This record gives sequence, structure tokens and C-alpha cells, in this order.
Amino acid sequence: MKTLILGLGNPILTDDGVGPRVAKELQGRLDQQEATVMETSLAALDMMYLLAGYDRAIIIDAIQTVGGKAGQIYRIEPEAFDATRHTASPHDVNFATALELGNQLGMALPSRIDIFAVEVADTSRFGEECTPKVTEAIPLCVEMIVQELRSTTPETQNQSG
Amino acid sequence: MKKITIDPITRLEGHGKIEIFLNDEGDVENAYLQIPELRGFEKFCEGRPVEEMPRITTRICGVCPGAHHMASTKANDAVYHVDPPPAAKKLRELFYCAHVMHSHIAHFYALAAPDFVLGPTSDPAERNILGLVNKVGLEVGGEVIKHRAYAQDIQTVIGGKATHPVCGLPGGMSKPITEDERKDFEEKAKSSVEFGKFGLKLFDDLVLANKEYLELITGDIYSMNSYYMGMVDANNKVNFYEGDIRVVDPEGNEVAKFKPADYLDYIAEHTEPWSYLKFPFLKKVGWKGLVDGKDSGVFRVNSLARLNVADGMATPLAQAEYERMYETLGGKPVHATLAFHWARLIEILYAAERLLELCQDSEITSPEVRTVPTATPDEGVGVLEAPRGTLIHHYQTDDKGIIQKVNLIVATVMNNPAMNMSVKRAAQSLIKKGQAASEGLLNMVEMAFRAYDPCMACATHTLPGQMPLEVVIRDSQGNVIDRLSQHLPSQPLEVRVIGP
Repeated sequence: MKTLILGLGNPILTDDGVGPRVAKELQGRLDQQEATVMETSLAALDMMYLLAGYDRAIIIDAIQTVGGKAGQIYRIEPEAFDATRHTASPHDVNFATALELGNQLGMALPSRIDIFAVEVADTSRFGEECTPKVTEAIPLCVEMIVQELRSTTPETQNQSG
Repeated sequence: MKKITIDPITRLEGHGKIEIFLNDEGDVENAYLQIPELRGFEKFCEGRPVEEMPRITTRICGVCPGAHHMASTKANDAVYHVDPPPAAKKLRELFYCAHVMHSHIAHFYALAAPDFVLGPTSDPAERNILGLVNKVGLEVGGEVIKHRAYAQDIQTVIGGKATHPVCGLPGGMSKPITEDERKDFEEKAKSSVEFGKFGLKLFDDLVLANKEYLELITGDIYSMNSYYMGMVDANNKVNFYEGDIRVVDPEGNEVAKFKPADYLDYIAEHTEPWSYLKFPFLKKVGWKGLVDGKDSGVFRVNSLARLNVADGMATPLAQAEYERMYETLGGKPVHATLAFHWARLIEILYAAERLLELCQDSEITSPEVRTVPTATPDEGVGVLEAPRGTLIHHYQTDDKGIIQKVNLIVATVMNNPAMNMSVKRAAQSLIKKGQAASEGLLNMVEMAFRAYDPCMACATHTLPGQMPLEVVIRDSQGNVIDRLSQHLPSQPLEVRVIGP
């Protein structure tokens, strides 16, 4: 099973960098056999190219919810994004739309996608550090992903790396 | 009408917002577009070596890293007073044509075309790229994805890194391209020219052949008599990478042509208490408020503006399409805001043709891609045409090249006054006597803003994976009477809290 771990976000936009930061930690924790680790700030349409060719993907991103507490970690299934499918951003489609388009076009997209999201506080100020609560959540999120990866793929390893 | 002041706190909700204010009769009195602004970028840059700027500025947003990289690289040339060798300039332009193609393709097919192919008031569940593919065929979707991938591949090879290029250095480029790479680019460019032609054919068949759509494009709802600004080459043809900045008035007469370094003599910025974004205007005409016409310094940038300021396109197929557009729409300049889409398609074709020319240039694989700077760095301006309009990077450094001051004027800000006016005009034309505004009508208000392909330069990748836009309608007392958040999740996102 070929697994991709993708940290999404802008590493110089304070908490928006939480995804790339978790990915960076994971790079040190996992060996190449287990998963390929990448970070990107690409949005949906371009992300499809990165996902193609993997059997499984774990995506880490920042999230802001109404009343959410900074540092909280969530699991989200891609299906949950169906609620937002029929919309358009100023310059990209959203994740669910891109995924469905990719599938319709026969791109080899992962059959399993897990999303880990960290509730963030500040994504509008430039800075290389996350805010304290979000920084505290990073090791925990890393641990959860390592557990998740090792509990669901005990034998079959990342074949072609 | 009751005067409404908007608390700054309510302005920062992490998404774009159109606020429509009705008068006592229920007609639209005013409408405002608000775009959240990222803060602290200048501070973030101060004290860093200027040659790092091309790599830092690509992080401003995920939408236009290529444009910021190249504008910043050009500003570095200027700071170090160094002229890159011809092969480096050509390589940069080649990279840059791929960047423009990549951006324009996404905007047209994923965002603009659904409004026309499915219809502006069609079911929003269908009015997206999936509905488009459903209607015009899966193979069109395949072509879109393929040519975006080609444009991305070219940027990755020259840029040295996917997404965030690292190739630009003061005085040139970090490495040349090989003959094998050139051949590969040439094939991709040839295919892209065909794809560019295909886009214009599609526009003909699906938009221009439909009388209703043609009337929508040429009608009053989406029209504005403004000035235009854009970059032109020595022959006054459109150029994305290098040239002078030309400005034409609402009748199409040249009123300014200047070197990028002189931009402060021509562009000034007005501020409004209700917006974090500034309102650039032509200094010599002056700020007369959010009004159009010859006496108002409001100008527009982006695709149609570039075509309006130029005498033509530098490549043959794009030139023919350019002529056809102006013939169809009644001569130059075109003031129809929705024609930005048409101009964007002509630019895709131009970018592809120019890409091919550059791939076939005997000098393009030359190893001479860098002039090492020897002068003491001080100050410099780099300007180019980002896909969404003129982009200015201006740096001041100490004699060691350490950044003291940064000024960026980005295209979305240049269009900020015009976008506000376009949104207001569309709202006034479409929403009457306080009638309940349908989703379709509000989408037509949004179309006024979408034509400019604004980049909100924000956390576009913060889940749910897009920058939402909300439309709020208020009565004459300032109470919210309608709120359309078609771009916000229609139901709460289902999440499982798993820690801590």
C-alpha cells in the first residue's frame, strides 16, 4: 500500500503552517517504507496531481470552526465536504469537487483519504511560529497519525516508497 | 439612508463579503465588497537578505506564486543594478507564460464557464466544473486537467520546485534548461496552442452563439467606463513579463506610458474607513470617489485591461482573436466587465504561442543564464503582469542588501475600486424594490466580481478548502434581512473531535 502524508498550509502564515509543521515532524518519525511525506500550499485542483498514484492519503490541515477551541484536533471524512461541494471560491474549486472530477477522469486517486484538522487561532498574520495552543497540539497530532498509520497497516508496507 | 459604520472586528471573518444596503424604497442604495487582508508582511520581510525575497513572496498566497517570484526577481535585478543575459530573460518569460496559462485555465473552466454554460441562474448544484463536464463532455475535463498539468510541469522544471519556484536570482536564473527539457516543453507548447484555440471555439459555440449571453456581456449591468492599465512591449503589444506600463482613458487614448520604476508618479492610494484594502487611483486624474468616467482616476487591470491598453497581440493566432473580439464588441476600448473572460481566453492562446516561440528560440538552452552582480545594492522596483493584473514589488535595502522597506501593490488591490463599483452596479440593476433576492440573482451580482479573478491572498487552503464569499443584504435601518452564504457549508461540517 502506497501512502502519502500531506501537510497543507502556508508555513509563514502563523497557524496556517500547522499542517506543514506536523508533516515535518512525521518525516522524522516515519521511515520511507511507511509513507511518503510532503507539504504543500496548493489548493484543490492542483492537489489532485499530488494524490494520484497513492492508495491511501492522510491530509493535515488547519481549520476554523464557530466556537472551536484552538489546538483541538478533529478527524474529518472526505464525504463530510459534500456539504460544500456545489460552490466556487474566487480562484479554485473545493476539495470534494476536485476529488469527484479526478475520479470521473479516471485519475488514480487514493481509495482512502483521512483528514486530520487542527483548530487554529490566527491565519491572517505573517509569522513562522504557530500560536501557543496550536504549537502544543502538534506532538499530539503527530502521535495520532503514527498510531493510525501503524494500527491500520501493520504488515503491508509502503511498497514503492 | 441611515449611515452605517462597520466595526473593524466584523470585517475580519476570514472570508470575502459583499454587503448590500437598501434604501427606504427597498432599492439598492450601496454595495460594498470586503476582502480580508493579511497583515504584517512588510514587517516579516524587514531585516532579511533581499535575494531571499523571491522565495518568501511566493508564500504570500498559493494562487500566484509564479507571479510574485518573478516580480521579486526583477526587483532584485533592479536593487543590484544588474541586467540578466538574454537567455535568462527568455527562460523567465517561458516560465512565466506557463504560469499565466496555468492560472487562466483554472479560472475560465472551473469558475467562469459554469455561469455561461449552465446559465447564471441555473441550479447551483450544477453550476460548477462537474456540471460543465457533464454538459460538454468528459473529454473537455480531461483536456483542462492535462494542459494545467503541462503548464505546471514546465514551471516545476524551470522553477526547480513544484509550486514555489526557487529559480530567480539577481542577474539571472539558477540553472539553464537541457535540450531534452526543451523538446518536452516544445511538445507541450504545441498541444497548448491547440487547447488555446479550442477554448475560443468553445466560447463561440456556447457563449457568443447564445443571444441572451451576448446581451448580458454587452449590456448595462456589467459595464464600466474606466481607465485601463497594463504592460506593453516596444511595439505596444501585450507582454506579461517586460515592458512599459501604459494607461488609456475611457475613450482609448494613451494618457501615460511609464517605466515601472516611476510608478509612484502615476499611482496613488486612497483609503476608506470601511475597508482594510486600499483604493489605488491615477494620481494625475485624482480620486473622485467610486465613480467611473474620464474625471475619475479609477482604473482597471487584468486581461481585458491589458488588451485595451495594447495595440495588439504579438503572436498571429491571438492577434486574429483580438481583432475579432473588438469587432464583435464594437471597437476599442471594451468596457464590458464580462469580456475579461473572453480576453483571458485570448491570453491563454497568446501565452501558448509565445511559449512555443520561446521553446524554439536557438538561445533558450544557452548556459549563459546569470550575470553576477557587482554593484552595491540599494533600491529597486520589479513590475510584471500577474494573471490578475499589474503587480509591483518595490524594495529598499542597506548596502549589504538587507531589506529596510518593502512596498507591494498587488493586482487585486488595483482592481479594488472597480470591483466595488461593478458589484454595486450589478446589485442596483438586479435587486429592485426589496424583492426577495434569489440565489440566481445574487450569483449574477457575484459574477460582476468574479470577472476580475480576484485573489483574496488569504488562507485559501484553510478547510473547507476554499475562501468562502458571503452576500449580506441590509435594510435602510442596517438590519440584516437576507444572507446568502452559498459559499459557506450549508450544513455544519461533520467532524469528530479526537483531542486533546
